[in-house]
Formats: sequence, structure tokens, C-alpha cells
Amino acid sequence: MTSNKLTRRGMLAGTGAAALLAGAGVRPALAADMPMLEWWDVYQPLQALHQTLWDDMAAKGVAEVNYTASNPSNIMQSLQLAYRGGNAPDVLNMPNVKASTLASLRAADWFQPLDNMGFDKPFQRAATAEGFTSFDGKLYGIPIFSALWHFASVWYSRDTAAAAGLDPTTGPASWDDMRAAAKAATGGENYGLMLPLQFGRRMADTFIDLAMAAGAPGEVDWHSGDYAYASAPFVEALEFLMSFQKDGSLHPASSAVDARQGRTRWAGGEALFFFDGPWNSGVLSSNFPEVVDGIGVANVPTPDGATAQVYRGPKAATFFLSSQSKHAAAASRVLEAFTSDEYYIALAERMDQPPLDLSAVERANVHPTYRTAVAGFAETMRIAPEPLLRNPAVSQVYAKMRDVTPGLGEIIQGAFSGAFSDPRPFLQQFADGMSRERDRALKAAQDEGHAVTLEDWVFADWVPGENYG
Amino acid sequence: MHQPPQSTLGRIWADRWIYLFLLPTTLLLGIFTVYPTLASLWFSLLDRDGFGSDGAFVGLANYVELANDPLFWNAFGNTMQFLLIAVPLRVGLALVLAVILNASLPFVRILRTGIFLPVVTTAAIVGVVMRYILDPTGGPVNLILSQTGLADGAVNFLGNGSLALYSAIAIWVWKWLGITVIYWMAALQTIPADLYEAAEIDGATAFQKFVRITLPLLTPFTIIITLITAIDATNVFDLLLTLTNGGPFYSTEVIDIFVYRHAFVANIPRLGYASAAAMFFGIVVSLAALVQILVVARIGRRGGAA
Repeated sequence: MTSNKLTRRGMLAGTGAAALLAGAGVRPALAADMPMLEWWDVYQPLQALHQTLWDDMAAKGVAEVNYTASNPSNIMQSLQLAYRGGNAPDVLNMPNVKASTLASLRAADWFQPLDNMGFDKPFQRAATAEGFTSFDGKLYGIPIFSALWHFASVWYSRDTAAAAGLDPTTGPASWDDMRAAAKAATGGENYGLMLPLQFGRRMADTFIDLAMAAGAPGEVDWHSGDYAYASAPFVEALEFLMSFQKDGSLHPASSAVDARQGRTRWAGGEALFFFDGPWNSGVLSSNFPEVVDGIGVANVPTPDGATAQVYRGPKAATFFLSSQSKHAAAASRVLEAFTSDEYYIALAERMDQPPLDLSAVERANVHPTYRTAVAGFAETMRIAPEPLLRNPAVSQVYAKMRDVTPGLGEIIQGAFSGAFSDPRPFLQQFADGMSRERDRALKAAQDEGHAVTLEDWVFADWVPGENYG
Repeated sequence: MHQPPQSTLGRIWADRWIYLFLLPTTLLLGIFTVYPTLASLWFSLLDRDGFGSDGAFVGLANYVELANDPLFWNAFGNTMQFLLIAVPLRVGLALVLAVILNASLPFVRILRTGIFLPVVTTAAIVGVVMRYILDPTGGPVNLILSQTGLADGAVNFLGNGSLALYSAIAIWVWKWLGITVIYWMAALQTIPADLYEAAEIDGATAFQKFVRITLPLLTPFTIIITLITAIDATNVFDLLLTLTNGGPFYSTEVIDIFVYRHAFVANIPRLGYASAAAMFFGIVVSLAALVQILVVARIGRRGGAA
């Protein structure tokens, strides 16, 4: 009996020891030679393209990439929680992030500089800007897209537009054309316009572009330095959007949909018009290929039908390297693959935002609607002044500015929900709130000794309709 | 037989197994309830953005800013409106249903199960699903309303500022009705049947039985169930976040969502401000509960003396 027990025990012990030894021997071999990078961005339509670059990098032994697709309407929240928990991704993306937010995140030490990145071609150097892609002269992130596009192209179904009395190749040019066509297209289950009201940030961006098309100089009136949110073009733009609801041509589900849901329903034929950026071509081609050939696009409409002028300052980088990343060198090598000419051409063919190298669009094989949209940008976009470029200390003010609520997105949602009939007081309240916040941040920055005044927002030499600088 | 030891330490040692078994619960309570509450109280005195690990001490500045913030009072008002409408609705409707389901009707088991099923669903999922059900175009509710002619045109339940809060209340009451029915049914079981029999012999109608026998005997239960329901009504975060996200234009923003918006949603979060809002609201609710207890105690004393 005893010898049996010993034998069993011995066998168990021996097996255990053998397993441990095997495990110890196997573990070094299983350990990855390549770092694994966590990558968060909102560019799901580009995932197939990016995957080829990542597979290429993995094959070269540089790094493996674990990609997580995020929704633009809540990626900021996800990043907040990730940073707080120490789980920030190595490469992060914050679509359309403002300079003020970027300055605060930089002050909170979210980023680290890229390692030995070659980013020197002329159009790349033009896109590098302190406070947007670089801090203290070092490159922290790279843009992959051009900054010169807007949110307010009007996408429409060509057949429905023709039935509503529009020229299906050019679409609406003036606000009145668009209103009339929307009214004509409304009937039964179909409506004239779908607005993604749940996506407050997108609505605010579209609204600002529409206001510029109506003649606003931008969010700031560069001659006076004041915020322009309560000025006539902004009020007119909001009244234009609300006119669709008054006419009954606004799709009632607008208040419940964000950009993705709104686009899905619009593509299904429930509405004639949809405001969207140039990436609509790409999303339709990959998700709704049966619909895309029947879609047309028009440049942003203006009150009188003339060509709009929309102003853009420098843009934040697309991909940043997080300060919590332990693989800065590997990530920088991977990001370098995103700066090659082949990448820009391939990017143009994916039809998201136009690539950083705009000439790539002509050399690429893209859908006609994308070419039309990008051609519209060439006529419309102008370079705007930016206080941060003239005085780097402005970043201190940006870092200290807090959000003002209700913001533009909420005001737009409120206007459509019937919370108030006249949006003017709320736009004025927002403009006043932003001025107060800027003054408070200015005083705090000045108290810390930074040389920054309200004059930094005044550009007396800015000429409307021309590129600044 | 042994004498119990006199000293405190000795008594603790004698009961050591009790304390050992209580330790896990006490620890969890400390970590997940006591510590966050105290930490929140401390944060409410700081100007903290949640990025760095420290924040400047500002004393009561957050509370002063809160008192002057119209959106805070809007959230406070929405929460009070929710409480004052949803709680009586849920408690009263559940009582009526419990009385009906207490009788031995055919299919009463199926009805009870049907009423209780929404309780076991996840509130967040209910919010998402209800957005589709209440959709102004193509949602079943609007389809029925338009086909029966009860409403001309689509009714935008969740997108219309004046309807959204009431729609949210209705969904909340529907979801939680089952559990309150269970509470009431348990309470109804405590009423002896011979009281009803005696009333029937005296020729009382069903309504008189309800008003003269059921209601008075249920008074202590009413108080407890109302208190439980009122506390529940302040925890509507998950339902409202997925249903309306506080919109449209803050018309369904209750205190929970106000705190969440400032603590997590904002590009630059303000943990100190959000903590102050949570503290402020907690203090107000505690005061209200205290008042309720005092009033009930006084009624109880007067009732006892009579």
C-alpha cells in the first residue's frame, strides 16, 4: 500500500515538476519579440488599408498593432477613462480636437514626442504647427489628412433631387433652392433633410461652416477679436436650419440619430439631403455600395447662391503618441509608414478626409462624388489666422479655458426640440460665456507671467476671402 | 460552563469568529461606499480636473458656483419633478394592481409574471430599445397612434422638450412596477381574511372594503414602500443616459446626469464641481428624508395617542 501511495505521489510530484520546467522552458520562447501597440481611432472605413501597413510592420518585426475602432461621438470619454486607469492606447486619435482642448491635454501630460520621425516634405512642413502637431518645437503627432475641407457639403439622392425640381448634377446652390427642394421631396414616409442632432459636436461644426458660408469670418471676428457666435451670419444659419423643421421637411427621427445612424437612414431613402464631410463617399462605397452610384454632392449652399468662403486655421495632428506608451520608438516607425506617397494615394482612394498631399487625389482612382467634393474645397477653403501661431503663449490661455455650457451643439439641439423659439439670446449667452471664460483664462495666464493679451486675437490685416499669411 | 470575560478586548476575542465573518462585508462597504463618499466630500472642496493627481483647494467656491448655475437648478428641478410624479404613480398603480392580482382570477399567474418581467431587464438596454419603440417615424407607438387617429403627425416623445421627461417617467414606472406590486402583495397578505369576510357580511362594497380596511392597515407599508421607491427614483442614471442622454436641451437632465456630464463627458472634466453637485444633492435628499421621518413619527405619536 505504502509503496503505491509513494508511487502515485511521486508521479504527481514528478508531473508537476516536469510541467513547471516545461513551462519555464517554453515561456521565454513564447514571449513576444515585437511590442504590441494599442491603437485607437475613429477611421473604421480605413481599417483595411491600415491593416496592410500594420501587417507589413509586423512582418518586418517592428511591432504588432491591436486596433480598436471608436465612435467619434464618445472617443473623448473613452480616452479620459483610459488615461485615468493607466490603460491609454499607444497611438490615439481625437478627431477634430480644438487647439484649446489640445493645450489642456498637453498640460495634463497626455503626449510624448515622436522618435526621429522624418516629416519634411513641403506640404508636410506646411502642416506642422506649434500647438497643433508639435509642442516646444518637437513633433508629437502627425496629420494624415489635409485641413482644407468642411463639414457642410450637401449630399443628395440624384433621382429624388430631380423629382424635386433640382438639377441632379449640380444640386442646390442657394438656401432657397435647398428649402424648396426639401419641401417638394417631403411626403409620406420621406422627408427633405436628415440632421444628426444627437451628435452635438458634429452639428456645431456643420453649423459653424454654414455660418461662414453665410459670411461669418469664423468663430472669432478677426478684426475685433470678439467671438462671433451671436452675429448675423450665425443667426441666419441657425434660422436656415430651423426653417426645415418649420416647413415640415426635417426628418422627425433627426433628434434621435447620430451621424452613423442618420447616414444609414438617409442612404435608405428616408430623406433627400444630408450634410456630411467628404468621407461620405468612402462610407457609402464600403457600407452601402448599391446606393453610392445614385448619390450626388454639392458644395455648401450660400444665402445667395454664390461660391462660399470657409476659413480654416491649422489642424491638430491625427495620430498622437500617448505619454503612457512604453514603445515610442516602435510606434514612431509604424507612424512613419503613414507619411509615404503610396499611403497618401491609397488614402485618397479610401475616400475619407482628403489626404495631406492633395495632389494625391488627382493621381488616385476615386468615386466621382469624392472628386466633386474635393474640387469644391479647392474653390471654397481659405486659410484663417490663428493666435497660437503668432504668440505661443496663447496655448496657456487655451489650456485654462473650460467648456461653456450650453455649447453650440446643445443650443442647436434645444432649438430643434422646441425648448425655445428664438435662439438669439442663447447664441448671445454662449458668446458672452466664451468671452468671460477667455478673459478668466487670460488673467490666470497673465498672473503666471505669460505675455499674452486680448490683442493676440486681433488680426487687423486679415482680408475676408483671402488666405491669411 | 465558563464565565464570559469582563473586559472589552476579552469580549471581542470571545466573539472573534463573528468579527471575522463580518470583515469582508465591512471592508467592501468601506471601500465602495464609505471611502467614495468621504473622497467625494474632499474633492468637492478642490478645483480638480481629474488629469493630475492633485487639485487646488478652493473651499466652498464650487458650492457658490453651483448655486449660481442655472443648469444645476434645472437638473435639481427635473429630479424633483421626476420624484413628485413618478413615485406616487408607481406606488399607487402598483397598489391597485396588487389588489387586483391578489384575487384568484384566471391567468393571474401569467399576469403577475408579465408585470414582473420588465424588472429583471437591464435598464440601459431598456433605454436603447425604447428609443426605437418611441421613434417618431416607424416606431410601433407612433404607428399605432397614427393608424388609430389618436394623433395627427408623428409624436416625438423623446425629442420634444416638453414630452421627454414624462416619457422617461412612464418608462421608468413601467419597468419597475413589478417589484412594487410584489411588495404590496406581501403587505396585503398581512391583512387577515376574516376582516374582509366580516365586512362582506355587513354588506360592504369592494370600494368600501378597500378604503376602510385595506388602506388604513397598509399605512406603515405605504411609508416604507414610498421611501424605497423615492430612493429608487434618484437612481435613474442608466435609464436616462441611454434613453435621452439628458436631452433634448437638458430637459431630462437629472442630477445623476449633471454630475456625469461634468465629471466625464466634458473635454476638460471637473471632478471637484461634479462632487460638489453630488454632495449638495445628497444633503438635500437626506434633509428631506429626515423631515419625512420626523413628520411620520409625529403622526404616529398622535395616532397612537388617539
